Amino acid sequence: MAFHKINITVNGAQEQVVVPSNMTLMQMLRESLALTGTKNGCSAGECGACTALMNGEPVNTCMVLAAECDGVEIVTVEGLADDNRLSPLQEAMLATGGVQCGFCTPGVLISSRALLDRNPNPSEDEIREALVGNLCRCTGYVRIIEAVKAAARTQVAASA
Amino acid sequence: MTLDTHPTLPEFEYIRPATLAEASDFLARHAGEARPFLGGTDVFVRMRDGFLTPRYLVDVKRLDGMNDLRFDPQAGLTIGAAVNMNRVAAAPEVQAHYPLLAEACRTVASYQLRTRATIVGNICNASPAGDTIGACLLFDGVLHIQGVDGPRLEPLKSFFLGPGKTTLKPGDIVTAIQFPLPPQGCQGTYIKLGRNKLSDLSIVGVTALGCPDAACASGYRFRVALTSVAPVPLVAGAVETCLAENPITPDAIQEAARLAAEASTPIDDVRGSARYRKQMVGKLSARALNAVWRKLG
Amino acid sequence: MVEPKVQGNISPVGENKPRIDAREKVTGAAVYADDIQFGNGLLHARIKRSPHPHALIKKIDVTKARALPGVKAVVTGEDFPGYIGLYLQDRYIFCRDRVRYVGDPVAGVAASSVEIAEQALDLIEVEYELLPPVLDPEFGAGAEAPLLHPDLGKYVVANFIFPQAGTNISNHFKIRKGDVDGAWEQCAAVVERKYRIPHIQHVPIETHVAIAKVEVTGEITLWGSSQSPFAQRNLIAQSMGISQSKMRVIAPFVGGGFGCKAGVSMEALAVAIATKVKGHPVKLVLTREEEFYTAFVRQGLVAYFKIGCDAQGRLLAMENKFYWDGGAYTEYGVNVTRASGYSSSGPYEVPNIKTDSCCVYTNHPVGGPMRGFGMPEMHAGLEQCIDELALQIKMDAVDFRRLNCLKTGSSLVTGSRMHPTGLPQCIEKAADAIGWGRKAPASAPNKRRGKGLALMWKAPAMPPNAGSSAWVELAEDGSLNVGVGGQDLGQGVFTVAAQMAAAALGVPYESVRVAIPVDTRYSPYEWQTVASRLTWSMGNAIVNAAKDARRQILETVSAAWEEPIENLDIVNGVVISFKSEKEVPLKNLVIYGLPKPDGQGWRGGPIVGRGNFMPTYVTGLDPETGQGERAVVHYTTGAQAVELEVDLETGRIDILRGVSAFDVGKAINPELVKAQMEGGFVQGMSSALFESLQLKGGVLQNPSFVDYRIATSTDAPKDLEAFIVEVPQDDGPWGARGIGEHSMVPTIPAIANAIYDAVGIRLDGPPFTAEKVYLAMLDAGIVK
Repeated sequence: MAFHKINITVNGAQEQVVVPSNMTLMQMLRESLALTGTKNGCSAGECGACTALMNGEPVNTCMVLAAECDGVEIVTVEGLADDNRLSPLQEAMLATGGVQCGFCTPGVLISSRALLDRNPNPSEDEIREALVGNLCRCTGYVRIIEAVKAAARTQVAASA
Repeated sequence: MTLDTHPTLPEFEYIRPATLAEASDFLARHAGEARPFLGGTDVFVRMRDGFLTPRYLVDVKRLDGMNDLRFDPQAGLTIGAAVNMNRVAAAPEVQAHYPLLAEACRTVASYQLRTRATIVGNICNASPAGDTIGACLLFDGVLHIQGVDGPRLEPLKSFFLGPGKTTLKPGDIVTAIQFPLPPQGCQGTYIKLGRNKLSDLSIVGVTALGCPDAACASGYRFRVALTSVAPVPLVAGAVETCLAENPITPDAIQEAARLAAEASTPIDDVRGSARYRKQMVGKLSARALNAVWRKLG
Repeated sequence: MVEPKVQGNISPVGENKPRIDAREKVTGAAVYADDIQFGNGLLHARIKRSPHPHALIKKIDVTKARALPGVKAVVTGEDFPGYIGLYLQDRYIFCRDRVRYVGDPVAGVAASSVEIAEQALDLIEVEYELLPPVLDPEFGAGAEAPLLHPDLGKYVVANFIFPQAGTNISNHFKIRKGDVDGAWEQCAAVVERKYRIPHIQHVPIETHVAIAKVEVTGEITLWGSSQSPFAQRNLIAQSMGISQSKMRVIAPFVGGGFGCKAGVSMEALAVAIATKVKGHPVKLVLTREEEFYTAFVRQGLVAYFKIGCDAQGRLLAMENKFYWDGGAYTEYGVNVTRASGYSSSGPYEVPNIKTDSCCVYTNHPVGGPMRGFGMPEMHAGLEQCIDELALQIKMDAVDFRRLNCLKTGSSLVTGSRMHPTGLPQCIEKAADAIGWGRKAPASAPNKRRGKGLALMWKAPAMPPNAGSSAWVELAEDGSLNVGVGGQDLGQGVFTVAAQMAAAALGVPYESVRVAIPVDTRYSPYEWQTVASRLTWSMGNAIVNAAKDARRQILETVSAAWEEPIENLDIVNGVVISFKSEKEVPLKNLVIYGLPKPDGQGWRGGPIVGRGNFMPTYVTGLDPETGQGERAVVHYTTGAQAVELEVDLETGRIDILRGVSAFDVGKAINPELVKAQMEGGFVQGMSSALFESLQLKGGVLQNPSFVDYRIATSTDAPKDLEAFIVEVPQDDGPWGARGIGEHSMVPTIPAIANAIYDAVGIRLDGPPFTAEKVYLAMLDAGIVK
């Protein structure tokens, strides 16, 4: 088994990790860095629970090799709050009741964050499309979608 | 996916060559035990299932030119093999000149999967269901392939040999797909029938492209590509002939759609029956052709 | 009704308090079973499973697997002779003599890495002698079917379950009420239908996870993604032949359950393996594929209905036969059979009814509890028959339901009377919101639009004496710590627990925390988090605990102030006297008590309140007639309505609107109640349109998200409305009864009825896939 030394920035912190070839980014985050907010729901790129930002774009971290990540920048759910201050998206998820069991929540937040980064004022259809890769079994999605809309309004208001 | 699907990726060695030549050489020397990979969205899943057991996975994403997306007003569009589908869908050049390609990309899986998924990867998997393949076929895509004997070009239309089978040989690396300028005034659409509204694999996929063409008796040239309804993605030649020779009327479109259904050879699988698929090729071909005809109007 | 003293306008009951666990969940801090860090001693388990639906095990050779470096233990059924099961002890932890479904555990491995454990599985050699499988419950119930459990007559069984030894029928529940045979001739209309409801999976986004550790002393700790830590303690201890006091279960946050994490399933495997590697925690995580193959399924159903009414539309008779495809082991599924039996009239008053509900062993995956516990499956057919009957006598389907639905005092299928119910109000809310009777134009020429409505009822299905307990204690700062043994699966019960405790004691909601994770060593007993019973049952225990603490506090203050207790109250964390207008904050007395005057000592002491609740009034039912005084604790009732469009060219269905109205007695937290209604609707919709485990010769064809599709964000309707009806439950806290499961019960028939309204076809069962709808329209000549 070959190992690789990678330098990676995770939630702003620089890390050096030695990883085996077959380790996924999801495993590295959860097992090597103990960032367990990123969840394992299928290990097949289908459920979205392991979604994190890689160089600003959302990826299923179960479908990325850790060995490929030398020099990249990762943001996980643990990196969304600013110190103790929740981001507008996190606040909105609390306010609308978009959280139930919470297992899809980290991935949903990351996908939504990526959406608002590329499209600060998305339509409802755009929100639904952006979240199609984040399966949720509890909420029926409606309150999650409301949360993204609310966060967009907050952000637009803040930047106006 | 099976009862014995591995929880994690089985052991292999990750290789990142510095140059194309080095990569090609490595793949040739380790024929049968080394695989090139791009986003890995298909390879990893099949490795967990035990269907693929490569000893080496060769990461070709960061090699020269693999990440280029170029549009040239004469030569057309070149998309490097490692350019992900989100980038293709968002590229102004693609939206301006090949919107059908952007449309097809957006139907693939989810946004986060498309951050990794690539058109060339989609093509190399040679799945009969590949969503972007129809558009690539109708835009007359040509693959740039780096082999042990150097680079070569291969038209996409002769690339597929069967489900999962292509003309690629050990040591071959597809580095880009190139499209000539699209036909003047062309319009296209991709209609994908999945079980969910979005994100599913297709039960039937119909891609249609039409353009004014003085060489045709009807004044128009229409082409239809079908996915998930034959061992390989299929261009239904009879549709083109029918609509080239007959004036474009609702009846002619119905007839062309019937010919498309006739050309398909679907099977029963877990996503749908052959009977339903054949029906849907007809219905959705008519829908696609009508949509393109309206856009041309 | 338990009505604690109302605390002025500060009572948080009925308020939309924010979820108590949301902050942890949006920051990634919430710890789920797979997130717990165990360090380097952790071993990884994998399971060798049967590839055959039915076979005898001739030989298992684990020598090579044991010899593989890194392998710490290999176990088989030989080591674990004890049976296990909730209502019927019919399974071993690992198979011993035969395998009964594809995925049945045959051996387990613990190794230093997952990869090594996987390699060891390949080295285990199992010799099978294949046997003919039973793949259909109706066939399985017959005399010619091979016998899957020859020892059925010897299994330990709950006294309300009736296995038929010498057959594959593990429970036969009967209803015999009135004179059904004589009633048919009085009927002006009769509908007879057969439905086939497929197996489906729960699909929590978190798969099953269990970590077990056995100390050298034999003490066992199990960390698991669990709805049922106490049931697991009890059943695993029994099966392993150890004292319950030696078994400890710790249950962190659960990433969705919907029933599949109730009772005991794969947790026992982890414990069994851990007994062979004492001192090491052993972790077993199901892959998503294993989850599809081997987690509890919602069992399949073949249902026959015959329903008749008179010329005025009054329901006169019903004759129902249910064949439940219980799968390889029916330890839990036998009670689904019973529940569907005692609810088999649907939410209607029917004077003459005969029901036979049979649980049948097959070589399919193991049936278990799933949200609705038999009700979605049963209502799927029954509520379509009601529409068809109404059509036959040319009566509006909603009027028909208005006429026949259960009202307060109605005679029930089991012979007792209906308690106060808001079902009629639910019908009005749903019908009104969907615009019943008004047809809107379709959005495109190739589409047809339709509306459908369906009703439901459901009781908590559980043993008659399923109990709850709770404690409350106060800290130096006056904050309240609430101990519960129920689990938050996402439904929000910790939040509701905190609201009820705050209201019952008289402290601000913000000062309450719930003592989690649930740990059977420290948390108070709770039967299981199932049956939508917690708000009601655990809620009562919490109220009783808070009252107990309140009594202790007020007695102390009453003595100190020399005032009668009646003068005192606790408001917003302060004890006050209405009479003397004295006040003292709780923090000043709940730990150290209050000083007596002039240095004469102290009174009071640390406050700990305890409370429990167990229904004491549920009676048995006659095994031959299903009649009895009180079959269940109560019924939650409700209605759903949908508006949808069918695409004539593809058969695709687009759900445009969904309306839910349920009588929850009292909404402790209205937004959480509505969230249950929305989530349940979409899960019900998903089961109606997409979901089935495609079993072919006993082998699952779609064991992944690629081909087992569930509703995504793009499939959920844009317009979802939820209405709360509140007709109080006499023994519910503030009148509350459950709502977790009910919201997916009427969804399948509401959609089926709307499809009929749109295009005039009926299918024999869900899922109503585009293909099935299209081909049915094609065969009926509706499209060509």
